[in-house]
Parts: sequence; structure tokens; C-alpha cells
Amino acid sequence: MIEIRIHGRGGQGGVTLAKLIATSRFLQGQSVQAFGLYAAERSGAPVQAFCRYSDETITNRNLIYEPDHIIVLDPTLIGAQIAAGLKAGGWILLNSPQPPGDFTEQFPHNRVATVDATSIARANGLGTRSVPIVNTALAGAVGRMLEIPLHEITASLEHLGFVGANLVAASRAYDEVRLVDTPVNTEPFDNVAAAPDTAQGRSILQAAEMAAPAIKTGQWATEQPQRQQMIPPCNHICPAGNNVQGFLKALADEKVDEALEILLRTSPFPSVCGRACPAPCMEKCNRIELDGAVNVRQLERFAGDNGQVDIKPSAERDEKIAIVGSGPAGLTAAWHLARVGYRVKVFESGTEIGGLLRTGIPEFRLPDTVVSNEIDRILGLGVEVETDHVIDRQTLLDLARDNDAVLVATGQQALRDLKLGMNSAVAVAQGIDFLDRVHRQEIRVDDEDVVVIGGGNTAMDAARSALRLGAASVRVVYRRTRKEMPAISEEIDETLEEGIAIDYLTQPMALHEEPTDGIRRHYRLTCRRMALGEPDESGRRSPQEVDGSDFDLSCHRIILALGQSPDVSVFPEGTEVREGTQLLGLLETPVFAVGDLATREGTVAGAIGSGRRSAVHIHNVLSGDHVEITRHADATRDVDIWHDEVIRADAMKLHLFERQAVAAGDALPLEERRCTFDEVHLGLDDTAEAARCLSCGVCNECDLCLTFCPEGLLKRVGHGFEFDYSYCKGCGVCAAECPRNVIVMNHL
Amino acid sequence: MTVQVVTGNHAAGYALSAAGEANRTARGAACGIYPITPQTEIVEYVARFPFSKARIVPVESEHSAMAVSIGASLAGARAFTASSSNGLAYMTENVMVAGYYRLPIVMVAVNRTLGPPWNIWADQGDTLMLRDFAWLQFYCESNQEVLDTTLLAFRLAEDRRILLPVLTCMDAFIVSHTQTETTLPEQALVDSYLPDLQLPHRLRYDEARTIGGMVWPHEDLSQRLEIDEAMKRVPDVYQECRQSFRDVFGRDPGDVIQTDGTDDADTVLVATGTMATTAREVVRKRRAAGEKIGLIKIKMFRPFPAAAIREACGSARRVAVLDRNYAAGSGGVFWQDTRAAFQGHRNDVLIQNYLTGLCGEDVTPSVIDQILADLASREVAGDPVWMGIETGKETLQ
Repeated sequence: MIEIRIHGRGGQGGVTLAKLIATSRFLQGQSVQAFGLYAAERSGAPVQAFCRYSDETITNRNLIYEPDHIIVLDPTLIGAQIAAGLKAGGWILLNSPQPPGDFTEQFPHNRVATVDATSIARANGLGTRSVPIVNTALAGAVGRMLEIPLHEITASLEHLGFVGANLVAASRAYDEVRLVDTPVNTEPFDNVAAAPDTAQGRSILQAAEMAAPAIKTGQWATEQPQRQQMIPPCNHICPAGNNVQGFLKALADEKVDEALEILLRTSPFPSVCGRACPAPCMEKCNRIELDGAVNVRQLERFAGDNGQVDIKPSAERDEKIAIVGSGPAGLTAAWHLARVGYRVKVFESGTEIGGLLRTGIPEFRLPDTVVSNEIDRILGLGVEVETDHVIDRQTLLDLARDNDAVLVATGQQALRDLKLGMNSAVAVAQGIDFLDRVHRQEIRVDDEDVVVIGGGNTAMDAARSALRLGAASVRVVYRRTRKEMPAISEEIDETLEEGIAIDYLTQPMALHEEPTDGIRRHYRLTCRRMALGEPDESGRRSPQEVDGSDFDLSCHRIILALGQSPDVSVFPEGTEVREGTQLLGLLETPVFAVGDLATREGTVAGAIGSGRRSAVHIHNVLSGDHVEITRHADATRDVDIWHDEVIRADAMKLHLFERQAVAAGDALPLEERRCTFDEVHLGLDDTAEAARCLSCGVCNECDLCLTFCPEGLLKRVGHGFEFDYSYCKGCGVCAAECPRNVIVMNHL
Repeated sequence: MTVQVVTGNHAAGYALSAAGEANRTARGAACGIYPITPQTEIVEYVARFPFSKARIVPVESEHSAMAVSIGASLAGARAFTASSSNGLAYMTENVMVAGYYRLPIVMVAVNRTLGPPWNIWADQGDTLMLRDFAWLQFYCESNQEVLDTTLLAFRLAEDRRILLPVLTCMDAFIVSHTQTETTLPEQALVDSYLPDLQLPHRLRYDEARTIGGMVWPHEDLSQRLEIDEAMKRVPDVYQECRQSFRDVFGRDPGDVIQTDGTDDADTVLVATGTMATTAREVVRKRRAAGEKIGLIKIKMFRPFPAAAIREACGSARRVAVLDRNYAAGSGGVFWQDTRAAFQGHRNDVLIQNYLTGLCGEDVTPSVIDQILADLASREVAGDPVWMGIETGKETLQ
């Protein structure tokens, strides 16, 4: 009887090799056995297989302890211990590219054969690159080694259904196997098989003896999991640079103060933005693909209104900084500079600080008290304010002389006009001015038919204010379609809900005075229908006039809300007003423009982002520090791989999340909205909506990976986790279960 | 008939499937089955078999696997299943239901150590746990014996004089996963060996009946007695089934016990499964050297062939019972029944128990030699002897 022991790793086909050899003998009429020593049946684990053949019926039911020959499938298993019990003079066949002579000293009492079965298998596309299946090649080599004719080996292969590449591999190995057919040492040699283990195993009662698993399965791995982090789309898009994912996570954990603290790192206006922000984060929210965007705006409002954080300057500094303009950009810069200890003074041309936050957004969207509270927090850092202080070229120079730095944050003061042929200060008002008068409670429009021209938030705010001030009718005229309107989509919805008509694709052409009814003046606004043509430089399709489509609107008041542009008259002619550039080049004092003046973004959030960046810039200039000026919030980077890339919905495993309705929060009933300036939105009752955040690309400690790791080798460390690679065989379950693409498999 | 190199699981899967297929002219075949290492290959085989009239039901547990087989059997199908180890433990409640319902279900069990700790290797503790539930039990030592015994099991189980379920057992891996030459009989031969199943108490749509409902003590007593009487008829019916097996297949499926050299032996080894193969080799070698030594392989454990074993021991004075199982607090299960077989008949036999091969340990010829040396040195029998491990070194007291 011939007994062969095969050493390989799970998945390499050792048991099948045993069967191939056995079958070749069976087909020649011999009695055969082929079996494996199975254990943890996992890819890569060291395994043994056995083959016996004999002219007599085989009655041995034991493992093979003293084999006639040994075959080693995996080069990493080659070592003296695998030859335990191998009979002197027996063959040892190694899967190795090295010549057999390299191993004769290691196995001096044996005949040695080598064949590069791995290369042969790969060349024939057998198995995968990381786990080539070498058994059919080795079967050919065994044939040559044991003087079994090649046709008997191929007969066995064919009997077991192997075709094509496997036959090629076998015959190539048959030809290529190299043999040293005389042992180096032919002295008599008794290779003792390993003695059976009669020692006691571990007691289950002795916990201390329950050591870690003895097999370091990490050595089998062809892939390893790694932690990566990507940028959530909300963080990436936020003009203020807020860490949206971060504050939502805090809210989801019901840590409202922590959520506010996270927001205040970038923006001093969470309660304001929680009401007035167009929330591009919600437009980019990956959850839209599942069941609707997370209501980030209302959650920011919740954190701003309900959080309590006491912020004090972290240091005291001597440098004085003047900020011109007390809108969101100026005040944000003041906030950040004061937090690190600079002496900041804000100059405001009006009587109230807050800029357009006060006068440009009506009470029903942004109550005055909310603005006051957030401004008070800024002033609480010791920021000084001077109102009714108008800056001109000369006073700007004075400021530059008296201070260590000047930030100019005067926003967009120049209002766009529209020539309607008959300009009447009585008939036509600018939206911003109208809203300012509304804010001062200086105006009513009882029983008037009001037409508002424009498609931005100012147009919507003016229209809705007019409705609340007693207008008989309000209609908005806009020359493109709803899709092109720059106003917040929700505000357009609310405008329509409140009964205001919007005439899309309508261009006012001329205004005519009509006979008065004796109470008020009466106008006729001639409009022309438009059609959308090719996209213009803003990317929006530009409207084209439709001939012969003129029609008239009868009205008592026209409000123009066509947008604003910066007033740069305080700077020398030709000054390039951009963020981060020195404006008064002749002076040593840094003078920078900030906010809408510099960026023309036109949103509160954009102004906040600009204010923060400019504050960091000023600090770097004054202190010599090199604080990174980032456009979007920087999440923790305590990961293996930092991907400076936005994670899109298709990289998320959305199917792992349950659908949940969006928490919209309550609103005032329509009838009340039409007659009061009370805030329309009543806010959220709790933070539950925050739990809908998918935490795209950022670990939020959901611990699915820890739960599903079959080896239990993931350990939570603080807010992160660690892999114990010594036991990680690279199964990939953690990566497959991670819903947010934080765990990725790295091919070794 | 074709000879093929296949595993024990393959042999079992073939026997179950061919037997099920043979009932296609009657109510067909059915099987609820659930995979467990080392039996999974049987599930795969049965699931792929091209039955003409059968329903293989993949279920969520072993308990349901047996439940499906019970329901199908009651409806007149030839029902079978297979399991192992903790799977059998989970199945247990329905295992007894099948027995007490008198259903001729055939189950193949791959003997695997009950956990914890998790251990996939051979140990008979799993099927011996089921020894008292009115099932016949057979322990096999080779792929061929598994195949032949499984076929015979259907004929025996379905015999009107028996109508009890049968369990065919094999050692995990040593048989289940070892590929060796095995004769797979053609379907036509299996058809001729296994007549259509006629279950007398079959449930029918048009006759509303209940089976196994609440009864008075005395009614139940009579049902238990019927089981005992059926069990007593097994040895004779077995011989009939064995003879017709030989007639059809030309091969002996083996007697309920199988002896080697016991006629003149003064020392007898009693073994089961693949341990018997190894013991037989040792016995033959030693007999060739002149030793008066014999082997009894117990193939049928339920009903226990007490008289046959007693008789086979002849004039032997020393008996070693090898048990690949351990009934905690007692000893080996085969030893208990073997010892009881002599009680009141003969008091001059030293019957010593050796616990060997437990938990999947390899029982080599040298282990058998150690057992024989120990047995020869004894004046009286002692506690069961644990082989292959040092005893008496209690670490926790």
C-alpha cells in the first residue's frame, strides 16, 4: 500500500488532488482512499489531505502518520515539520519555482521534486490570482514523480470532469517537474512520526487559561479592512462651512449643547440659519435617494434655540481690528477674531446692528428677537459696536491707520433697477427698502393690488409682507420658470400656499398711469410673455421675448426685487474686490473685503463662511500662524485613509436603512399667516429627526462592523475602532455591512 | 451496478434518493432536511437528485426537518432525512414522535461530537442519545455498508410486522468524507428490492381521523407493548430482508452482529463503526500469531442483540467493550448494554469498558494493542478506562 500526505491551505484543492491520485489508481483496478483532515473550513487555513492505494482492499481507517510520500501545495508551508513520519527515501514534492537541490539539505533522507505549480495554474487561469488552484498541475507532477504514465493522470482528470486548462496544466507540470531522485543521505533513518498527544487540554472552568485563538488567521488574508473617511455632501456644500454631519450626530445623541458648540465653531448664527438658510445641504442630502432629505435647517434651528454654550475668548491679544458693516459676514469675522482674543470694533452705517438680518428678512421668517439673541452672544465676547457710522474713502484710511487690520463687510448695497418708461417714486419701490419700512412698521398696503417683480427671496418676502399688510391682491412676476427661481423652494411653496399668484415667463415692459379712483393712484403694467432659450453665463436658460404676447396688469403698487450688487465706491478706482486680497495696497495694515462685497454669494450662509475664512486669514497675517483656511468643515481624520472626496448616494448602502418620514415641524395655519407677522414655522419638538442622518462616509459608531465581525476582532477605541489584523483573515463582512463606506477592503 | 470512488455521504445520499425514487409508482418520496457539518453533502445530493415524484423541503431547522418527514410519511410518502450532532439534539422531540407514530422513516446520521466546545469529529454520543425512542439503530463501518444498510432500512422499517423508523449511522469524516470505491446499484435493482410503501395507518383526505391524541393510560400501554413486540420481531425480519438483499444485489449487507474468530477465543473485543475495522485487522494479525482472540462488531444497537452477543462470546472470559461515546456519570453505552446482556446468564466473564475515539480521537492499531494489554493484566473489571489521555490529575477540586 502506498500512503501519500498532502499539505496545503483551504481552497487550494488538496482533497481533490488526493482524489485525483486515488482515481488514477482506481481506474487501474486498485483499492483506494482519499480524504481530508477538516477543521475550520476556511479559505487559507493549513489543511491536510490523504491518499492511499493498494492492490489489496484497504482496511486502514486512520490518518496517515508515516507517509510514503508528501506533497506540499503551498510554498509558505515548506518546513522540516511537514516531513514528520515521512519514510526514508520517500518523495517530497514541493510547489516551488526553486530547483529541488535547494531543498535537499532540508530533507536529506528523501527524494525531492519541485514544480512551479502556482505559475502554471496562473498561466492557465486556474483559481484566482491570490488563490491559484494548483492541484491539477501537481497531479501531473505526481505522475512523473511516481512513474504513473501521463495518460493515467489525464484519464483520472477526465473521469472527474476536469477539462481544458486543467489538462494543459497537468501535462505541463508532468514535463516541467524537476527531480532529485537520490537522497543526499542514504544512511538508514527512522523518521519518527509525531507522538499522539496524551496531555490534558484546557479546563473550561479556568477562564485564565482560555487564551486567544492559537491560529493567527491574519496570515491567510489576501485583503484587509481599513477605515476611511469621506466628505459628507452636506459638509461639502455648506457655504458657512458647518460640520453638518457632526452636529446632527450630537443631536441624534440628544446632546443639544454639544451640537450648538459644534455649530459655533464655524457660525455664530445657527438660529438665524436654521430659519433663513436656503440649505443647499438638504438639496445634496444622500437620503433623498431613500425617502427625503434630513431636515437640517430645522435641526440647526433646534440646536441654536435650545443649546446652551458659554463661550469666552481663549486668550487676550493687543491687536485692534476694525470691521465695517454689521451684517452676517462682519459679525462672523468679529466672532472668530474675538474668540481668539483680538480687540474688535464693528462700525455700522445704520441705527441697528445686524444688517440685512434685521431689515431684509421679515419677522414671519426670522423674528427680531432671534437675531438679537445671536448678536448678543457675539457682543458678549467683548466686541464693540458703533452705529450710524458711515464710511467713506477718507474714514476708511483713518480706520486703517488706527487699527492693526480692517475688514470691509458692506455687502451688496447697489440695487438693480428696471426701466419701465415711467419712473414714479410713489409707484415703484425697491424690495429691500420696502422690507426695511415693513420692519420699522412704517407702511401698510390696505386694499391695494400689489405686483412684485423678481424671483429671489426678497421678492417672496416682499410679496408675503404685502399680503400681511392688507393687500387686496399680490402677484409675483418672474421672467423665467420656477426651476430658475433663486428663492428657497420651500418659501416659494409657502408663497403660493398663502394665495399669492406667480406669473412665470413674464417680463414687465412698461408702466402707465391710469385714472385714479379718488383714493389711491392706479397703474397699468404692460408685460410680455417669455420663452426659455439657451443657457446664459449663470447656467440658467435665458428668457426670450415672445412676439405679440403683451398683456396688462392693473395695480396700485410695484415692488422691484431684482437683486443687488456691491457698492465699491469707498475703494480707489480699479480695486479688485475679492476675498483674501489686500485692498489698499499702499498701506501696511491688512484691509480685506469679506462677505457679499467680496463673494457676491448673496446668502447668509455664504457671508458666514466668508467671515470665518477672512478671520482666519487676518489671524494668520497678524500672528504669523499657519491655520489652514478650509472651505468646508473638517471632520476628524483619525482614519487609515482620508479621502478628500464627497461620498455620493451610490457609495452608500441605502438598502440597510429603514424608510422614515421627514419631520417637517408644525406651521401656523394659513388663515393666521395672512394677517400676522408671527413666525410661520414653529420648529421641531425634539431631535428625533437628527437620527435620520445617514452619516455619509463618516463613522457614527453604529457598530454594525463590531456586531458582524465573525472573529470578534474589531475593538472600539474611543470614538474609533481598531482591527486586530493578526486574526483578520480578510473575509470582508465588516466592509459589506458598513452602511456608510467607512470600511473598505485593501488588497494586500 | 457501477463502482465509483465516492464519499460515505454520497453513498448515503444515493441510497436515500434511490429508495425514495423506488416509491414513485405509489405515493412518492418526501424529505425535510437541514444541513449541518458533516452531513451537508447528503443534503446537497438529495436536493440534486432527479426524482420523478418527490418533494425535498428545505426547512429552517432539524426539528422542522423531522416534522416534514413525519407529515409526509403519514400521508403515505416514503420519507427520509439526515442530520448530525447538535442538529439531532434539536430534532429530538420529533424523533420520538416518529417512533411512537410507528412511521417507517429512515434517517442517516453522521456521528459527530455534541458541543460545546465545538467539535466536528466522530463521536457516537449524538445518536445514542436517541436510543430509547422506538427507532432501530444501525452503526456502519464503510461506505458500502452505509449504502446497503440504508436500503435495507427502508425494507425493514416498512415491513408490516415492524413499522418503526430506522437510523443508519456512520462516523464523521472517517466514513462521511472518505472517498473510496463503492458499488452504487442501479435504480431497477432498488425498485425490485423495495416494494411500494403501504402504510396501514395512512391519513387520507376523505377519512378525517386524528393520530396521537389524548388517551387513557391503558390505551397508551397497549401501544408501548405493540412497539416492544415489533422490536422483538426485528431479528427475524432482519434476516429476511438481508436474504432478499443478497438475492437482489448479490451482496451481503451484514448480520446484526459480525464476528471474527470468536469460536475459540478466550478474549473478545466488542466494537462498532470504523473502530471495528481497525480492531478486526489487529485481531486477524494476532490470530495469525496464534492468539485466541476474537471480535464482535455490533451493527444493530436497537433492538439490542443481547442473546446473539452472549452466544458469540462463547467460552471467552475476557471481554473489552470499546465505546466511542461517554454517558456522563456511567460509562460507554455499548458497555452498559453488553454487560446487562450477561447478567443472570453468565457471571464468569470479565467485561471491561474502554472509552476510546471520543471527541474524534483517532483509534489506531496501537490503541487496540494497549487495550488488549490492559485487559490481559486485569483480575477483575474496573471503572471505564479512558484511552489516550492521562487521568487522575484533577486540576480543579
